[in-house]
Amino acid sequence: MSEHQKPDTLTNLILRIAMIWRGVFTVVAAAGVITVWSGRLPEVPLWQKILLSLVLSIAAGFSAFGAVEIARRNHRGRMISLVIDYLAFVACAVMTLNIGEVFIGIDALAETFGRGIPYLGIVLAGYLLSSMDEYSVRKQTSEQSLKQVGRWVMIFGFILFLWQVDTINGVLYFLGKLAQPAGLISVAGMLIFGAALWTVWRQPSAAAMHVKTNHEQVISGWLFLSPNLIGFLIFFAGPLLLSFYFSFTDSDAFNTPNWIGLDNYAKILNIKFVTLSSPTQLAKEVVDIKIYDEVGRMMFGSWGILFAAADKFFWLALRNTLTFVLFAVPFSVVPALILSNVLNSKLPGMKFYRAIYFMPSIAAVVGISLVWQWLYNATIGYINYFITLGIEFWNNLFNLAIVDPKIQWVSDEKTALFAVILIAAWQTMGFNTVLFLAGLQNIPGELYEAATVDGAGAWDKFWGITLPLLAPTTFYVVSTTTIQAMQVFEQVFILMNPPEGPNNSTITLVLYLYRSGFQNFKQGYASAIAWVLFIVIFGLTLIQFQRQRQSSIYES
Amino acid sequence: MKKNVLFKAFSLLVILSFALAACGAPATVATEAPAAEESAATEAPAVEAPAATEAPMMEEVAIRWRTRPDNQEEIDVYSNISTELDAELNGVTLTYEPGGTEGANYQDQLRSEVAAGTAPDVFWIPGTDVADFATRGLILNMNDMATATDGFSVEDFYAGPMGHLTFNPDTATFGADSGALWGLPRDVSTFALYLNMDLINEAGAPDPRELAKEGKWDWDAFLDVAQKTRALGADVYGYGASAWWGPYGVWLNAANGGFFNADRTACALNTPESLAGLDFQRSLYQDFDVATPYGEDPEPTFRAGKVAMFQNGRWATPGVRTVEFEWDVVELPAGPSGTAGNWLFWGAYVVNAKTEHPEEAWALVQALTTAQTQGKVAALGANIPSRVSQEALDAFLTFTPPANNQAFLNGIAADANPTAEGPLWAGSWPEYDQIMGPAIQGVLTGATTVEDFGATICDSADKVFVK
Repeated sequence: MSEHQKPDTLTNLILRIAMIWRGVFTVVAAAGVITVWSGRLPEVPLWQKILLSLVLSIAAGFSAFGAVEIARRNHRGRMISLVIDYLAFVACAVMTLNIGEVFIGIDALAETFGRGIPYLGIVLAGYLLSSMDEYSVRKQTSEQSLKQVGRWVMIFGFILFLWQVDTINGVLYFLGKLAQPAGLISVAGMLIFGAALWTVWRQPSAAAMHVKTNHEQVISGWLFLSPNLIGFLIFFAGPLLLSFYFSFTDSDAFNTPNWIGLDNYAKILNIKFVTLSSPTQLAKEVVDIKIYDEVGRMMFGSWGILFAAADKFFWLALRNTLTFVLFAVPFSVVPALILSNVLNSKLPGMKFYRAIYFMPSIAAVVGISLVWQWLYNATIGYINYFITLGIEFWNNLFNLAIVDPKIQWVSDEKTALFAVILIAAWQTMGFNTVLFLAGLQNIPGELYEAATVDGAGAWDKFWGITLPLLAPTTFYVVSTTTIQAMQVFEQVFILMNPPEGPNNSTITLVLYLYRSGFQNFKQGYASAIAWVLFIVIFGLTLIQFQRQRQSSIYES
Repeated sequence: MKKNVLFKAFSLLVILSFALAACGAPATVATEAPAAEESAATEAPAVEAPAATEAPMMEEVAIRWRTRPDNQEEIDVYSNISTELDAELNGVTLTYEPGGTEGANYQDQLRSEVAAGTAPDVFWIPGTDVADFATRGLILNMNDMATATDGFSVEDFYAGPMGHLTFNPDTATFGADSGALWGLPRDVSTFALYLNMDLINEAGAPDPRELAKEGKWDWDAFLDVAQKTRALGADVYGYGASAWWGPYGVWLNAANGGFFNADRTACALNTPESLAGLDFQRSLYQDFDVATPYGEDPEPTFRAGKVAMFQNGRWATPGVRTVEFEWDVVELPAGPSGTAGNWLFWGAYVVNAKTEHPEEAWALVQALTTAQTQGKVAALGANIPSRVSQEALDAFLTFTPPANNQAFLNGIAADANPTAEGPLWAGSWPEYDQIMGPAIQGVLTGATTVEDFGATICDSADKVFVK
């Protein structure tokens, strides 16, 4: 790689073709940009036109630069060619599979593939058979025959598998779908970009362009990273940016969205505080009720302050979400910390208990919420049943007259959010316990031994050694639990009926976001809520980071 | 080294087999279809399905359709109906998709697919969603095709649902001549009270069915039965209802009130009549304490034999059939208006605006709403045919238990004046429901007074209407 030999004629020819290809690509991409804005694509929304133009312009620019660099035999030209052609090749391959309806077929994969699974077992048996050669005593002949037999079993099994999953029809269907202009174009694209990749990838081309080992390593690194990176860009970063754009529109997810600037954010943040002259004064007497709704009021004797907002649901959701975080985080972190210290002991059966406490974390939230719904049922639920039994027991034992509260866990606005907090804390506690356990394992035992020698008790050791040295783990647990708690949705959605709860006592930000986007046809507004939620979470996490940095405990 | 190669080859084979299996799927559907057609042709009874096309040699078009089933039995019935109609409709190959999974509810999944352009050609939506879909251009106005179809008449279906389904937002008119037809109702349903006769007999309360026959089944009589059965024990309740707009709405309707004004363009939750209906319902929970706590699912309590009167729709019948006590149904009690204020629930088959085969889709919608097809679905016991046909109603009465099926038919009879569930053409029904539901729950759980509710509810609710 580092030796610079004079390229042969063929390599020179190939690089010349690569350079011309880069030029052609530049022209085609530039033409694409012109086409986008020529009015031939009236159906395409503005944001898609902008995005498409941006992608094509960047590709055209880099391609043109790549052509120049290839002409100069500079390794940068090779790198640019590889990146552009690789991405284009992947795009064409995905398009080909999509046109061939492979992705739709995947929906039925379980059924189709399931029919063939027993025959794949035969293939596996063949593989194991051929792998047994090394255990053979009579090496030569047995090895040969076992391999032969194994190979034939594998072939036979695979043919049966193909027959069972109806491969011939499937392949014919796939090819039939490709035999249309879009299919042929995508296949041609794959071939062209594949060939273009080969022209610059081959060893003589690399040598001719003065590629060094570290250049190759960089390319290999990006290549290995590319499946994840492309997936991230398409399925995470892309939608993220798209939702940011939608937050400035009136998108309903179905029709072309209109740009409305900051209207969505303005509506969310349009709030008003006004003075009330009496506790019974109605909101419509002090604010324009066509714009504002009452969110809450705080009374100080005969006067008070009214909090009104253009979107009261957002503020109620924010209030509930922050309340949820305020209680759910300590309820799931503090018990986890205590539990992890107990489970960290070397008593018999601790591994069993570790598994038991972890189980809620791996169970499906929907299933758990349904179980808790039954437990919480005010009339036939087990929680109230045991409370009743307990009260009867004490009343009978001491001749008391304690009244059975018959708590309406999920249907009373005073207890509804607490019921959700309890489930979330119970479910998260197990996972947090495991994290704390991992942290505890990293604390050197010598410190405890030394403390014991110095006469420290269990509490001193916990307060003086465990807690400070667990600080990084605690920080991680608190941060992740807070982020998770800010996004509470499933428990509320399943447990409550309606999910908002009595007097909106359980409406949360993600629930409101879901309602707005999926049920009220306001995707643009829902996107704005999502970004405000992001800012709130970001802010909280930032505060936690700053406090963690300032923490003298951690520093010491 | 050789073994490594063999292992790699084996791994590659497995990956390849996944891809090949995925490719195999569409072809499987295509090859299975004729077989289904053959069996349906020989076994299916003569269904009066409208012909999609006159030319039998025409190329087959694939039509996907979807409706929300409540259980596997309904999935099986709809699958069989699809197979039979596939044989009946010339030139059409049908694929039935139940829709909705554990991870995505029916409506969320449908809306996502509509947005992505991959929704089926024909699908079912609840009556409250019709306006949202129609005004956004997501479903086809089938009026022209309906007008050109011999023998089709919107009057063959219940007037309530058809009023909404023929509403023309441009002219604000409805009916056969409105120029709009957004779909046809799949079925209809209504509320009744499921009775635990063991509890009622044990309490010595009068039989609500007899009272209904004598015309004495009103709110007072209802409260009397509820109180007598509630007196049986601290864990026995006289009445139970779920927490959504349907159950609480009937009390408002029965008091001559309602959710909206007459032309559904403004909130009417604060009218004296609506508040009177709500106050009576509140008293069941707060003053007389005869009802299971509002917001708690009353169905398990009823199934456990602890609720005397459980308000629910026809869709609850299959589940109730498995209880171990003696049960039956009775219509809802009459309120101050003289009627029970019941709902006429419905959902409709509509045609995707992006379908490439509107004619075939329209033919399918008709075929799915014939008396015969509806009879097959209604035989499961979960719903009532949406065609006004004595034949269909007579057949419905035979789908017992409950013995008193007539109670459901009384609920949707014209003289009972049921209020048809419907969309809000002048506003957003989901947003209205989002404001109304928690506020009413606040009243029924005792957190808000009826007066406070009445003083503020329409200030918020009126905002969802288009100015």
